[in-house]
Amino acid sequence: MAQHPSFPSVNVGDEAPSLVFGPLTRTDFVRYAGASHDFNPNHHDEVYAKERGNKTVFGVGMLAAGYGGRLMTDWFGVPALRRLRIRFASRFWPGDVLTATGKVTAKNEADGLLECEFTLVNQDGEVIVRGDATVAPGR
Amino acid sequence: MDTSAAGKTFPPYEFHVERGKIREFAAAVGDPNPVYRDPAAAAAEGLPGIPAPPTMLRTFLYEPQTSAEALGVKDWSFIVHGEQEFEYFAPVVAGDVLTGTQRILSVTEKESRRAGKLSIGVIETVFHNQRGEKVQVLRRTLIETGQRIAD
Repeated sequence: MAQHPSFPSVNVGDEAPSLVFGPLTRTDFVRYAGASHDFNPNHHDEVYAKERGNKTVFGVGMLAAGYGGRLMTDWFGVPALRRLRIRFASRFWPGDVLTATGKVTAKNEADGLLECEFTLVNQDGEVIVRGDATVAPGR
Repeated sequence: MDTSAAGKTFPPYEFHVERGKIREFAAAVGDPNPVYRDPAAAAAEGLPGIPAPPTMLRTFLYEPQTSAEALGVKDWSFIVHGEQEFEYFAPVVAGDVLTGTQRILSVTEKESRRAGKLSIGVIETVFHNQRGEKVQVLRRTLIETGQRIAD
């Protein structure tokens, strides 16, 4: 069983174990399309995407959102997650390597909740996703 | 977008939480966590079954398109998904049959110096499980820009 930090052991400023995704492939995008039934052709059809002025297909935002969700559940466990918000800042492409990092920004002793922020950035340091989450680690 | 769509509600729909789709979705978001595959690993985390990954209910597996259509978007290539929020109230596990109820929370317009007139629509989906417990609330923010989204 995975070990997750308990509420008393966590402090503001603590950082999530970071995760790296990629280099991402078109197959990764197609696998997410199939799993989510999001068949917007911009995410899997090279011809369609280029006709609309894109250099190639690009990743669906909710795939990056899923990476952010994993950052939080790897850290505190699935049952601890109370809220997750993802803001989509920029697009991502085949070949990109996304690095997810996060930290605790507030600790509410009264209700046992932590507020966290996270980002996914590409290999050039460009922010792809900003997110924040509320978690209730075990006491 | 049609600003008069704010407040519209839609007929509820069922979302069947299936173990095979959980496994497939976890693989698609690059998550090797055994709780999505092994009942014993899920039980060891205190879960009543194999859980849905945190972003799984925001998919088109079962969701009808009626709420998005009600926003009155003329061309979906002018639409970006700006933000997505999830609130978690109780576990969602394989075998659950959820009922999703959608509502358009708001449709607002604003001027952006960079992108011209923006319309911002927020669709909320509230999921209850087969025991009537509220399990998740999702809020999806869609932004309509004055031009196609391209680099």
